[in-house]
Amino acid sequence: MNLRVLPLLVACLAPPRLAAQVPRYLGVDLSLSRPRFQSTSPAGGERLSGFAVSERLRIVLRPVSLDIAYAQGRLTADTGNAAARDIVEGSLFVAYRPVPWLALKTGPHLRAYAAPGGTERWALWEGRAHVDAPIEGGEWVAYGEGWMALASSVNVSPGSAGARGAEAGLTLKLPQSPLWARLAYVVDQARLKNNARTESVQSVVLAIGFGGR
Amino acid sequence: MKRIALALAVASFATALTAAARAQTPAERVGRGVRAYRDLDYDSAAVILRAAVALPGTALADSDRVRALVYLGASELYQEHRDSAAAAFGRVLRIDPRYQIDQLIFPPEVTGLFQQVRLVTRAVAVVVQPLTELRIAGDAVSIWLYATTFHPVDVTIRRPNGAPLRALYQGGISDSLQLRWDGRALDGTPPDSGRYLLQVDSRGADGHVVRSVVLPLDVARERRDTLPLPAPLNDSLFRPEHVPGGTGLRQVLTGLIGAAAVAVLPSVVAGRASASGDRLVVAGGFGIAAILGFQAARRPQPIPENIAANRALQLAWQHEVDSVHARNVARGQEVRLLIRAGAARVVEAQ
Repeated sequence: MNLRVLPLLVACLAPPRLAAQVPRYLGVDLSLSRPRFQSTSPAGGERLSGFAVSERLRIVLRPVSLDIAYAQGRLTADTGNAAARDIVEGSLFVAYRPVPWLALKTGPHLRAYAAPGGTERWALWEGRAHVDAPIEGGEWVAYGEGWMALASSVNVSPGSAGARGAEAGLTLKLPQSPLWARLAYVVDQARLKNNARTESVQSVVLAIGFGGR
Repeated sequence: MKRIALALAVASFATALTAAARAQTPAERVGRGVRAYRDLDYDSAAVILRAAVALPGTALADSDRVRALVYLGASELYQEHRDSAAAAFGRVLRIDPRYQIDQLIFPPEVTGLFQQVRLVTRAVAVVVQPLTELRIAGDAVSIWLYATTFHPVDVTIRRPNGAPLRALYQGGISDSLQLRWDGRALDGTPPDSGRYLLQVDSRGADGHVVRSVVLPLDVARERRDTLPLPAPLNDSLFRPEHVPGGTGLRQVLTGLIGAAAVAVLPSVVAGRASASGDRLVVAGGFGIAAILGFQAARRPQPIPENIAANRALQLAWQHEVDSVHARNVARGQEVRLLIRAGAARVVEAQ
């Protein structure tokens, strides 16, 4: 199983048409996530987990939209003597929606792990595909998103070998209400060259958003 | 023998006279009395006219009776029977309070006595249109009163049992008076159908009723027919408001694929990294959403535009029903009265 499965998954989730697509939209959301960090290397690995909060601003001028997100949290060791560290992320994506149920995104994604011994910084330029699939009318909407790094760099030797990730979640939007909620599972993995190390982060995200036309 | 023959001859003559008189009509008899008066044969005129006015009421028309009484009064006056003359003139005025004696025919002493009698005779003639229809507020029965002389009168509409229904007037009348009855009782309600009485009481100088004129009024109360309500809307006029629900398969499939995706994503994306159990919360969310979506998809789906169109149709029909109902309520409150006036009857005080 690899990322080639993702297009098939996306095609299965794709609905015939979406009801909740609006031509203009401005919304913000605040989310709480539970990230679990795991790194593996030939010398061993470490596991950390914690909590993070994030904010996201979304502006939609169909068929184009702009997503700006910022997240910050604290990771502590689950096992072993791994040093606790802060995780800080920021991203800016421009999305194009050729059909109502599909959005193609691209943009920079920065992530930093700030530990007492130093800060590891990742800079990625990602390409993403996002699919919406309504389950019940326009209230429950399932979505899936897969991405991969089109370019990447890290300030750790021997350098970045790439990154990829995926997200699956549900959005609940009550009719005639500007509020909505989102529950999602996000996983990504970044690799150093020569298989020196892989780092993966899995998160369960619960977000509350507010927006309107 | 001669006496017997004479008696037989007189009897035969009297019988012949009686037969001849019996053969005359009452009007002809009055005419014969008038001719006797004009021939200055006041004795014969008085005898003939006195016999004529003594006929029962149905045998002699009021106009002939009045004519006979006037000439009888004049004949009595010229025979120096002033009281009898006044009595005859009094009867004239009680029959026809509006009667005016002809000053070209009768000399001043006759007309003078007639006017004197008029001044002391308290009588009222009542004239009501034979048929009056009262449809709307403001319609009324017109009642004209004509008096011989000034005197107080009470005008009352009475129920068949004599109880007053509506007092129309209480006061003096000089020459004539017009009254209007709107066909309502004192409380403003229309009376039930039936015979009512218009009673005009003339009062004497002492305040007692000296005579009354009673005129029957047959009241027929009719209500307007109500309008028929609009027919109920036929089902064929309504558009279908729902489409049958689907199988829910797509919703279930979407939920299952979402849950499966959450389950396999760690191995797809992160390879050998151990999967987080937290993701099962999201997988469970997909399962719940699939169940809800399945149930919702199987329910008939409403068609909002058809529901709105049907509601507008129903509202228009209900509006029409309410309108007809309101008009019927108004019609129910509209009472049409037909009032027929009968012949007046004079009741002299005892």
